[in-house]
Amino acid sequence: MQTKENDLVMIALFAALVAVLGLLPAIPMPWGIPVTAQSLGVMLAGAVLGAKRGGLSMLLFIGLVALGLPLLAGGRGGLGVFVSPTAGFVVGFPVAAFVTGVVMQNLRIDAMVASGIASLIGGIVVLYVMGIGGFWMLTDKGLMASITIMATYIPGDLVKVVLTAIVVGALVKARPQSLLSRQ
Amino acid sequence: MLALTSDIHTPLHNWRAGVKLGLLSIAIVTLYLLKSPVLLAGAAGLTALLYRSFGAKFAAQGLRMLKPLRFFLGFILLWQVILGDAATGFAIVLRLATAVSLANLVTLSTRLDDLIDLVIWLASPARFIGLSPKPLALSIALVVRFVPVLLERANHMADAFRARSTKRPTFYIILPLIVSVLEDADHVALALRARGGLDGAFNP
Amino acid sequence: MIQIQSLSCQYGDKTVLDTITLELTQARVGIVGRNGSGKSTLARAFSGLIRPEQGRILINGIDVLNDRKSSLSAVGILFQNPDHQIIFPTVEEEISFGLRQLGHSKADASTKTDETLANFGKSDWAKRPVSTLSQGQRHLVCLMSVLAMAPSVIILDEPFSGLDIPTTRALQKRLNQLDQTLIHITHDPAMIADYDRVLWIEGGKIIADGAPETVLPEYLRVMEADDAGAHL
Ligand SMILES: Nc1ncnc2c1ncn2[C@@H]1O[C@H](COP(=O)(O)OP(=O)(O)OP(=O)(O)O)[C@@H](O)[C@H]1O
Ligand SMILES: [Mg+2]
Repeated sequence: MQTKENDLVMIALFAALVAVLGLLPAIPMPWGIPVTAQSLGVMLAGAVLGAKRGGLSMLLFIGLVALGLPLLAGGRGGLGVFVSPTAGFVVGFPVAAFVTGVVMQNLRIDAMVASGIASLIGGIVVLYVMGIGGFWMLTDKGLMASITIMATYIPGDLVKVVLTAIVVGALVKARPQSLLSRQ
Repeated sequence: MLALTSDIHTPLHNWRAGVKLGLLSIAIVTLYLLKSPVLLAGAAGLTALLYRSFGAKFAAQGLRMLKPLRFFLGFILLWQVILGDAATGFAIVLRLATAVSLANLVTLSTRLDDLIDLVIWLASPARFIGLSPKPLALSIALVVRFVPVLLERANHMADAFRARSTKRPTFYIILPLIVSVLEDADHVALALRARGGLDGAFNP
Repeated sequence: MIQIQSLSCQYGDKTVLDTITLELTQARVGIVGRNGSGKSTLARAFSGLIRPEQGRILINGIDVLNDRKSSLSAVGILFQNPDHQIIFPTVEEEISFGLRQLGHSKADASTKTDETLANFGKSDWAKRPVSTLSQGQRHLVCLMSVLAMAPSVIILDEPFSGLDIPTTRALQKRLNQLDQTLIHITHDPAMIADYDRVLWIEGGKIIADGAPETVLPEYLRVMEADDAGAHL
């Protein structure tokens, strides 16, 4: 019984959820941006809402960051984010969620396994390609520098892939109707 | 909910949001066209003066927003120096710091409502192709409303967890938090629909 | 007039409402039934909030499911749980949202909101964050937002749960004075003893339908005889 109001509210509430996941206690990193559960939220948006809704939800999220809400991990926000070296990651959120959703919708295997693969592709491969690409553009090819810094975030993101699969597996049992990517 | 808009009133607060955004875009494109570290240092100096002219407290606020960048910038500079191209290193660091500061200046001096109005206004031409800015306005309102609610709920859950465990709660509260969000979504969608939802007359 | 044509609702494969056909013309209709019998689901279907598996609901000729715009002035619903009804952070925003949805201008909606609050002697609540109100007070906020929109049919899903005796009395008096059609779901037969018609719903079907004097005594008898076998 999915109405258009349901879609709208799911999109908005996942954007809010991603903000909150970025504000929960985190593991600080020397480069200023802590390891938070925020990118877990991006993976979940795609894996749970599916490509279109997940992508729109993250587009809404980064739109609000641009409007000046401090919703990014570590309380960052504002237009400055979009011209700083990590801009590619932030801009990559909707793309990552979208790709995660596409994989999730087309990989017709067990939802838990599918969500792991989907978030690995969307939430890590796509997000890092965009993140590193952004860094490269904004810092005049400081490519190696960027890869060195960003590599330190990969272990944390692998943990999030596993978490995404666990959450999706639990949702299949507890609230299958909410797994819109599989409706 | 707390936006990043500064309480310290500056003349920029009175400018139209659209004007500020237009000027910002021009400034950023210019910064990327400049390659000389000397000119970029000049631009950085002017930006610093601009901040300072709005008072020491405002300048401090601006500096605080740059803080998360300091390691990145330091690292890039170091990298370029090792590569033997210090000039490029300084150029990159100055350009990034200036661009981010100018963008933050718009954020600090513009009210959230004004920016939302601007976005809705920018989205309104879409009306002609049958898209309404209403879903956008409603979803922005919902996010702004739900971030504090979810944050408070997450903190309650974390407290309840800590009361019975010595482990770090973040990992354990994620699933219940998400389930609660999905339940909320059902209720809010119904409540929204009960008052016309997307078919109602309300228009931003 | 409310017409329900072979309405069926399911959650998953569980049938919650089973081919209900009804025509309600009375101004005061009560609905009783045990927990989980399908009352709230019927209320949601009545107001076009859920898409039934089968059937149609017309209120004064308006298809409430598909014609959401016209249904706003045809039917309003007071949810069983106020926290599920309130969307906005302050009382004022909550009440004026519905008015904006009806097409009132911002200024108009704001005036009407103030009037509604004043009507209930709660003008001081305007800027109050909803989270600082008690459960019963939130229920009242929900009722005020529904009444502000003045729909011709109002569905009340246990409107008095959580309200104290003076507030219940005051509200009951106010509800009785309304010109609108009321559909009132309750567990308390006394609340609807003087209504025009009472429906008793059980397992998703209407098992009794008639004047309160005929339906309620039998309902009470069964409920009291059944207390040993209550199943949730
Ligand atoms: N969202 C839902 N998902 C699945 N099942 C549901 C849902 N809502 C209600 N049900 C089930 O449908 C049945 C009818 O529920 P409903 O809320 O209509 O009962 P009710 O008569 O209002 O009960 P009460 O007197 O407790 O309010 C119940 O068995 C309930 O468990
Ligand atoms: Mg009920």
